[in-house]
Amino acid sequence: MAAPGPEGSLMAIIGDEDTVTGFMLAGVGNVDLRKKSNYLVVNEKTTVKQIEDTFKEFVNREDIAIVLINQQHASMIRHVVDSYKKPIPAVLEIPSKEHPYDPTQDSILSRVKLMFGAEMGM
Amino acid sequence: MYGFEAASFNIKDGYLDAVVRGHRSGLLTQADYNNLAQCETLDDIKLHLTGTDYGPYLANEPSPLHVTTIVDRCTDKLVDDWTKMRCNAAQPLATFMDYCTYGHMIDNVVLIVTGTLHERDVQELLDKCHPLGMFDSIATLAVASNMRELYRLVLVDTPLAPYFSEVLTSEDLDEMNIEIMRNTLYKAYLDDFAQFCNRLGGTTAEVMRDLLAFEADRRALNITLNSIGTELTRDDRRKLYSNFGLLYPHGHTELAVAEDFDQIRNAMEKCPPYQAIFTKMGYGESQMLDKVLYEEEVRRLVFTFEQQFHYGVFFAYMRLREQEIRNIMWVSECVAQDQKSRITDGIVYIF
Amino acid sequence: MSTQNRYVVAPTVTVLAVMKGRLSGAIKGHALLKKKADALTLRFRQILKKIVQTKQEMGKTMRASAFAYTEARYAAGDFKHTVFDSVEGASVKVAASQDNVAGVKIPKFERLGNGGETKMNLTGLGAGGQQIQTCRKAYLKATDLLIELASLQTAFLTLDEAIKTTNRRVNALDNVVRPKLENTIAYIKGELDELEREEFFRLKKVQSKKKRDADLLQKEKEASGANDHSKVANGGPAAPADGFMGSVKKAASNLLDAVGADEDIVF
Repeated sequence: MAAPGPEGSLMAIIGDEDTVTGFMLAGVGNVDLRKKSNYLVVNEKTTVKQIEDTFKEFVNREDIAIVLINQQHASMIRHVVDSYKKPIPAVLEIPSKEHPYDPTQDSILSRVKLMFGAEMGM
Repeated sequence: MYGFEAASFNIKDGYLDAVVRGHRSGLLTQADYNNLAQCETLDDIKLHLTGTDYGPYLANEPSPLHVTTIVDRCTDKLVDDWTKMRCNAAQPLATFMDYCTYGHMIDNVVLIVTGTLHERDVQELLDKCHPLGMFDSIATLAVASNMRELYRLVLVDTPLAPYFSEVLTSEDLDEMNIEIMRNTLYKAYLDDFAQFCNRLGGTTAEVMRDLLAFEADRRALNITLNSIGTELTRDDRRKLYSNFGLLYPHGHTELAVAEDFDQIRNAMEKCPPYQAIFTKMGYGESQMLDKVLYEEEVRRLVFTFEQQFHYGVFFAYMRLREQEIRNIMWVSECVAQDQKSRITDGIVYIF
Repeated sequence: MSTQNRYVVAPTVTVLAVMKGRLSGAIKGHALLKKKADALTLRFRQILKKIVQTKQEMGKTMRASAFAYTEARYAAGDFKHTVFDSVEGASVKVAASQDNVAGVKIPKFERLGNGGETKMNLTGLGAGGQQIQTCRKAYLKATDLLIELASLQTAFLTLDEAIKTTNRRVNALDNVVRPKLENTIAYIKGELDELEREEFFRLKKVQSKKKRDADLLQKEKEASGANDHSKVANGGPAAPADGFMGSVKKAASNLLDAVGADEDIVF
């Protein structure tokens, strides 16, 4: 459970360079004294293992309340994302600019639809 | 030697002049852009570009393509052209061409300086540097462990040393806002470039005076516009304006105190050439400004090719290519993000 | 009656009272939990609807933000590294508070701080600064939306879990606890009835025996006064020693002798 300290908790981002830059610009980025950052820029050199490790690190960090991850990268580590069940930190899949949002891939949305698929009319 | 350069220009620089004019005709035309605007995917764009000068650079790129890859390859084309011409250049054209790239070099040095401050990986930093602004000893900058050492290395190793020693001290490197530092350096560079062109004399000086004046004024305008509502004081703002250009010095005084877009507009409209630009825009539309300014710049750059026996064409070629790469980036991004309705908003037609 | 679906208890009146208490408790609890489950489901459905809406809106907002970023790059050139190098402390943070729905605590996120007003605002001073600021605002808006979405999603997961537990409890009460209690009560009632019948029968038997003895005594008295004393000495001393149970046993054995095979009376 994220400690709701007086300064609030962080948002973490895993995504491609452009997405991360955008959120950095918004002021989400954080680098602490030990040079530990709350973001991971995924480029063609980043391995799946790295993404997976970073994802696991982020969801287990005390000071992080929300983890944003680009959908195409979430798909690369789908098994990890799907097996993540805790409500906090909340894991959100976000679209990247070259991959428009695809609701069918979202693990939360697919659960939503599984339950109320017919009546949501989607 | 004013007036006589026609006699001797071709002996030294005729070959390169021909080459650069040849490259110029390789720039994309409106028809090319119309084709690009019809593309549905990045692969379509690649297909169209393979029919142009960019062909050899893009031909071997595997799918899936990314916008950055396309932009990088196109930049490679410009860099290759540029280095080939630079290798063949005799003095003083060689120096002139170096001057053209100092702008990128400033960006690179600033990048390395901030990167070193934040202890980033050297290789990663070098990858991010603009290839046109590379110089041999750039990597050594990153080995500096403290600011004083870094400052010394910049003075020793870079062609930018005069600008640094002129406007900055080693303490500034530590304390100054990075953007102010960048713009201070850029101002010093523009001033120096203008002086250099004047020393060259002849048609070059005439053509470049116009181009650099426009560049300086555009920077002044941008700095004013972008510093409204920030902690940048009027005096600091004033210090970032170049010491020449059509706005110098009275326009600068007015710009320095401008607090909103309409005041800037008033200051600018006192200059007839800029009045024409501003009349294209309605009141309150500051978003359009960049594109209008780009268009004006391109118009002026294209004019340089109308004159003969001067170096301005090299500068113009570099700038035009860069604009073209910006256009390609815009088109590619629009296609990649499925925002095709906005495609024409970003293209500045060169011909 | 089978012992499978009831509590193993001694069939006494006290236990019956306890069981009745438990049953009414279970019924009340069931009604309450049912209400809670309904309240949760109501909220859950609201959230579901909102999640789907917000997710789709997020798709649009992110697209707009990405495009604002493209515009900024068009005007300002490549400014990524400047942005990355200016990253220090997060100026946008999330505050977690709690919302209460029918006793279920739902975490709620809110944005803290308004983001990047200090260091980044000179980025792109020479060119494209305005676009960068527009882009920043676009991403800030996206961040807000994402925080809202995160709240919804966390609420979704928490509620989902809570509803599942509540429903499990409701069903457990309805399908396991209540029948079991009812069975137990029925069992105890049956047993108690049985005991009552037995008692009644025994009393009758005792009565009839007493009557028979009295009749016998009467007859003997009538027949001869001397014989009477020896008869009492034969059967009399055994009865006080065995006590009450003994007399019951005796009554029963007599009963067996007398009635023979009566199915109902099994000890």
